[in-house]
Amino acid sequence: MFVVDDEVGGDLALVDWEATPLGPPGGWPQSLRTAVSILLSSRFPMWMAWGPELTFFCNAAYRRDTLGRKYPWALGRPASEVWAEVWDDASSRIDTVLTTGRATWDEGLLLFLERSGYPEETYHTFSYSPLRDDDGTVVGMLCVVSEDTERVVGERRMATLRDLGSDFSVVRTEQEMLTFTGRQLGRNLRDLPFTLTYLFQDDGTVRLANATGVAPGHPAAPAILSADDADGVWPVTELAQGRSALVDLRGAPFTDLPAGDWPQPPTQALVLPLLRQGSGPYGFLVAALNRYRPLDDGYRGFAELVAGHIAAGVASARNYQAQQRRAEELAELDRAKTTFFSNISHEFRTPLTLIMGPLEELRGHLAGADPRVREELEVIHRNGLRLGKLVNTLLDFSRIEAGRMQARYQPVDLAAVTAELASMFRSAVEKAGLSFDVECPPLDEPVHIDHGMWEKVILNLLSNALKFTFDGSIRVRVRADDGHAVVTVADTGIGVPAGELPRLFERFHRIENARSRSNEGSGIGLALVRELVGLHGGTITADSVEGEGTTFTIRLPFGHAHLPAEALAPPTGPAVLSSDSYLREALRWLPDESSDADDAPSPVPVTDAAARVLIADDNADMREYLARILRDAGYLVDAVGDGRAALRAVRTAAPDLVVSDVMMPDMDGLELVAALRADSRTASVPVLLLSARAGQEASIEGLRAGADDYLVKPFAAAELLARVRASVELARLRGHHARWRTALVDSLQEAFFVCDEDGAVIEINASFADILGYGADGLPYAPVHPWWPDAAVDPEAHQQAADAFAGLLGHGQGSYTLPVTHRDGHRLWINSTFNQAQDPETGRRVVVGTFRDVTAEHYAIQRDSALASLSTRLSQATSLADALGGALTELRNLWRARSVLAAVFGGDDEPALTATDDTFTWHGLPGERRDVLTELRHRPLLTPAADRTGAGILLEHPQGPLALWIDLGDNRPFTGEDQLLLSLLAGHLAQGLVRAHQIDQQRETAIALQRAILGPSSLPDGFAVRYEPATRPLEVGGDWYDTIALPDGRIGVVVGDCVGRGLEAAAVMGQLRSACRALLLQDARPGRTLMALDHFAASLPGARCSTVFCSVLDPETGQLTYSSAGHPPAILAHSDGTTRLLSEGRSVPLAVLPGRERPEARCAIPARATLLLYTDGLVERRRRPLTVGIDQAGEAIQAGRDVAVDDLATQVMSRLAPEGGYDDDVALLLYRHPAPLEMVFPAESSQLAPIRSALRGWLTRCQLSPQTLQGVLLAAGEACANAIEHGHRNAPGGTIRLRAEAFVDDLRLTVVDTGDWKTPQPEANTHRGRGMALMRAMMQQVTVTSGSTGTTVDMHTRIA
Amino acid sequence: MATPLTLTSGRRQDGAALLTAVGEIDMSNAETLGAALDDTTGPVVLDLTAVEYLDSAGLSVLFAHVERIELFAPPLLLPVLAISGFTDLATVHTAEPR
Repeated sequence: MFVVDDEVGGDLALVDWEATPLGPPGGWPQSLRTAVSILLSSRFPMWMAWGPELTFFCNAAYRRDTLGRKYPWALGRPASEVWAEVWDDASSRIDTVLTTGRATWDEGLLLFLERSGYPEETYHTFSYSPLRDDDGTVVGMLCVVSEDTERVVGERRMATLRDLGSDFSVVRTEQEMLTFTGRQLGRNLRDLPFTLTYLFQDDGTVRLANATGVAPGHPAAPAILSADDADGVWPVTELAQGRSALVDLRGAPFTDLPAGDWPQPPTQALVLPLLRQGSGPYGFLVAALNRYRPLDDGYRGFAELVAGHIAAGVASARNYQAQQRRAEELAELDRAKTTFFSNISHEFRTPLTLIMGPLEELRGHLAGADPRVREELEVIHRNGLRLGKLVNTLLDFSRIEAGRMQARYQPVDLAAVTAELASMFRSAVEKAGLSFDVECPPLDEPVHIDHGMWEKVILNLLSNALKFTFDGSIRVRVRADDGHAVVTVADTGIGVPAGELPRLFERFHRIENARSRSNEGSGIGLALVRELVGLHGGTITADSVEGEGTTFTIRLPFGHAHLPAEALAPPTGPAVLSSDSYLREALRWLPDESSDADDAPSPVPVTDAAARVLIADDNADMREYLARILRDAGYLVDAVGDGRAALRAVRTAAPDLVVSDVMMPDMDGLELVAALRADSRTASVPVLLLSARAGQEASIEGLRAGADDYLVKPFAAAELLARVRASVELARLRGHHARWRTALVDSLQEAFFVCDEDGAVIEINASFADILGYGADGLPYAPVHPWWPDAAVDPEAHQQAADAFAGLLGHGQGSYTLPVTHRDGHRLWINSTFNQAQDPETGRRVVVGTFRDVTAEHYAIQRDSALASLSTRLSQATSLADALGGALTELRNLWRARSVLAAVFGGDDEPALTATDDTFTWHGLPGERRDVLTELRHRPLLTPAADRTGAGILLEHPQGPLALWIDLGDNRPFTGEDQLLLSLLAGHLAQGLVRAHQIDQQRETAIALQRAILGPSSLPDGFAVRYEPATRPLEVGGDWYDTIALPDGRIGVVVGDCVGRGLEAAAVMGQLRSACRALLLQDARPGRTLMALDHFAASLPGARCSTVFCSVLDPETGQLTYSSAGHPPAILAHSDGTTRLLSEGRSVPLAVLPGRERPEARCAIPARATLLLYTDGLVERRRRPLTVGIDQAGEAIQAGRDVAVDDLATQVMSRLAPEGGYDDDVALLLYRHPAPLEMVFPAESSQLAPIRSALRGWLTRCQLSPQTLQGVLLAAGEACANAIEHGHRNAPGGTIRLRAEAFVDDLRLTVVDTGDWKTPQPEANTHRGRGMALMRAMMQQVTVTSGSTGTTVDMHTRIA
Repeated sequence: MATPLTLTSGRRQDGAALLTAVGEIDMSNAETLGAALDDTTGPVVLDLTAVEYLDSAGLSVLFAHVERIELFAPPLLLPVLAISGFTDLATVHTAEPR
């Protein structure tokens, strides 16, 4: 009786049975002997108890899986003693069995077994059934057990990991992420009795960021730890270096620890660093361990995955926040600046113009009024000027920052220009009682300066010096030094405290409490000076000693190599000072200014104070003479040498009067008058012609040409002044309206333009020139306008401009946003609005329009929409590869690029290339492109690099640095804005890739864990299975497959489907599967199994209406017995191409009608037929009858009748997959009859007969004809004999492997030996040579492959 | 386990030596058949009608005595004998297994 099993039988024989109530085995009743035999011969874990003390027996499987260290002590002992620790649970069940004779059933019961030296958390599914003695009385019980510990614990851990990952699409703050994580961890107090998440802080402390299962404030969970405290509660220093630690929790400070879901608190905690790529950890996770489970690889892996998840969450949240913060700061700064400067110009300039204009008029009218009125008017005037100066300074800043400063750098003798500027201040300085020392010897080389800017530099410095100097001197020096012109402005004033010196040039920075001549000042002058000097390619520094004085030193390079070529201009005549507001302001600081002004004859007639006169004469002497007379009379004078220069000057800024000689080279005075009158903008400028030609005709000719007055040389200065004054006053009256219009138009912040009927721009304002760089001196601008984008470089932008222009000409009104090119080449976007109007003077139709620079807005919108569409792409991605591929397409569309490449430099020799063009490979790329990508690796992250063919950037990919290249084709501009956008998108992409990578990992984890639950890892031969979770949302499901090796050699084959998805369905699935498995083992009839499963499902929430196809297969005969509980029919594909549905044996789903008899059907699977069991996810599609899907599945099987069954499983899954993946989970099981035969045997000739016998049996099951069978048998025999004789002649002890597999019309036979065919010369021996010939004759194809590890003979024959 | 083969020697009524084989013939027992044939002299009738398997090792033995063998073989073995060329050199009768 005990010999059935060597292992346990031997130990049972050693038991002292005399000492038990059962007595010696010789006297045992037949029923007990039978029970023991069944027990020992079964491969399934079982134990039994017999007799009054319930004496314990078990088999080898039970010993291995459950009993552990209690073996062999337990044999023959009372069951109550063997299972003392669980006797409470067990005894009640045993009593039920013994008293009622009915079996019990328990699923996944938690038992603490002490089989490994400690109480261990284990789960068992078992049934107790009665054992009867020879007269039918119940005298014992048999327990069939399957241990579910791995499954239950695995499911529980998977649930936690899945819950952790369930929210990964939403980016949250760090604290939100930790709170969410904590909530999930707190739900698994079995694997994690408590957890603590600590994060390293910048200040060197470690902060408790989250705790689960333990109250904050517990001694084991201090809120703050010190990072360098080696003796703290947790091993912080070790963790900071990225090492994990196992901490013993017995003893202080770990007393009174919470126990989680267990009776006793944990004794160990695993402390894991929260690792950060390329840097020290973020912090660490303390995971208290379940004391009832060993810390095996699975447990450790689980804890590491949890820590990894938290680390990834922290990384993601911090990245997101940092990026968010940076973007917000930049946007905020931009907004503030833009708002500030546009307010200044818009809100101040227009009203200022409207104040200052009438004020000038008032000053004229009230020249003789009450002195007090005049004085008050002067106060208003002075402050108006001051305000204007401030506004203009601020506008200068905004122009400089927008790159719109209109500079014209002309070569000058810097010493002379500077001396002249300084001389303006001489009277003021001397009046202040200071000595003024100007030392400006001529320089050998010219310096390129913009007159207007240089004037502001020098006057600012001088007025500054005057303001803060009360004794001593002011010195101005110009000299050459080492290739530079050096200008110093030094004073002996109050000086600047050393601490303030570094901030001296900061905008809006004022030194508080400094003694000065005036409290006026915005703290902006020196900042402007520095900007202006910078524009000249120069530098300015300040040295100062408090109480002794300050010296400003400017260094400007000679030549013009440092200046933009397009801003260079030829030298012109003597400089014209355009602004005296600095001087006027400075004079007012001086105490006796007003009294002096009263006494001294005012050099400036009040009425003509602002009159500007332009002199055009080719004779320099005459020019200087005229200028002197007019300047002395208080006019502001500009002088040019010919008519064309005069025309340019008038178009740039119209003077109050032009005084022009008639006889001039190039363009003479008459032509000048004609040109001025022809242009509506300059038509009203009065012209006084001078000519040496006397006579009525000459003057009539001049007047007819449009001149306002005519003076014949020689003339007296008084006469000139009288004519000039008369002309100016007359013109002022006449041009009052026009000037107001001009002043208003120029004060507009928006660009203003007028187009004639042909679309030529004939009038513009200052903002127009500011924005586009095209000034009034170039008028008219005929279409195609020079600011249209170049059709060759950017045809699309060119077309947009052309469309807008067509709208302007066609409709005469509208609003367009279009790209234009600034004169210096950079791209702008403008929003233009225009309307038709009629020129009141000529009656011609014109179009009047304005536009704004919306470049910043345009790019902001472009950025937002690009980010939004990239985000959408990334959020839809279902894998890392998908995310990257989608993003590349998005980038290609955004820039209309030829292609976009991404090379990931992982650990391999060759980077992994992804491209918008699938045909690209790394080696297929041109060498220079590979170089560009490789070089990108050495750049800093997220910093774009662009050249004439495209742009690239480096970002982080979860598998290594990613070099990305956008191929734009030749000579397409990639602007600074594009670079900013690229770096934003790349940052976004890097984050998206991390998320996609997490999805990948989650997916792999989910599938791995589900497969672990599904098992079995080793299938019986001839079977193939697949499980595929639904694609989106990624979830485990309730589908399952199962094969169960039954004790009689048959195989239980089950496929089932629980209602619903997700974890609950998976849990129900696990229990149904285990139950079905155990039931089939007890009673291998599918109908009975399903009926028992009905009862089980009725009591299991969520199991009702599950469908199951339950069958039992005899692999020898192909006989299949089956019963279906509402499950779709299995499909049987015959070798002749016909298909049969196994739709008999059918009844309702589980637990719908418990107790009802279930039918069974039988079917013989013929040779080489393929059986498909599946769940409805494989065939069910919306808006399609199920039968269509079932037909398709049948066709897929038929199509793969000639491929191996495992490959067929892959084929079917991919062939039936809907576009975008399965939206329900799918379980699939395939079997082909007969299963392939595989035998391994020693290379000895005595093995040949039994091997042949087995092969003959298998070939018979394949239903081959006797002749074919004999042929295959002979070929196999010859191959084996060959292997024995040649392969192993010199190396006895080797093995031979024979494998035979039948396909629909093909049979494949493989014989592999491990021997060494040193000289493969089978022909040397006649009968071996004959053997090879026989093999070739019997099989259609024979291939012999010899290698160092052995020889493989591969043979095929058609068998259809 | 050696391949099962039973050899029975006798004389036919016409006096010719008769050797009857039952079982299977492969490399593990071909020498036994060879020895039995060596023991006979002159023409020999070899009855293989009860042999279910004959491979190249067995054929080698038959070829060694081809000039004096008259063979009775079941249909199952005919392809082997034909392919190896044995039927061209010796008299082969087809006989259904008894």
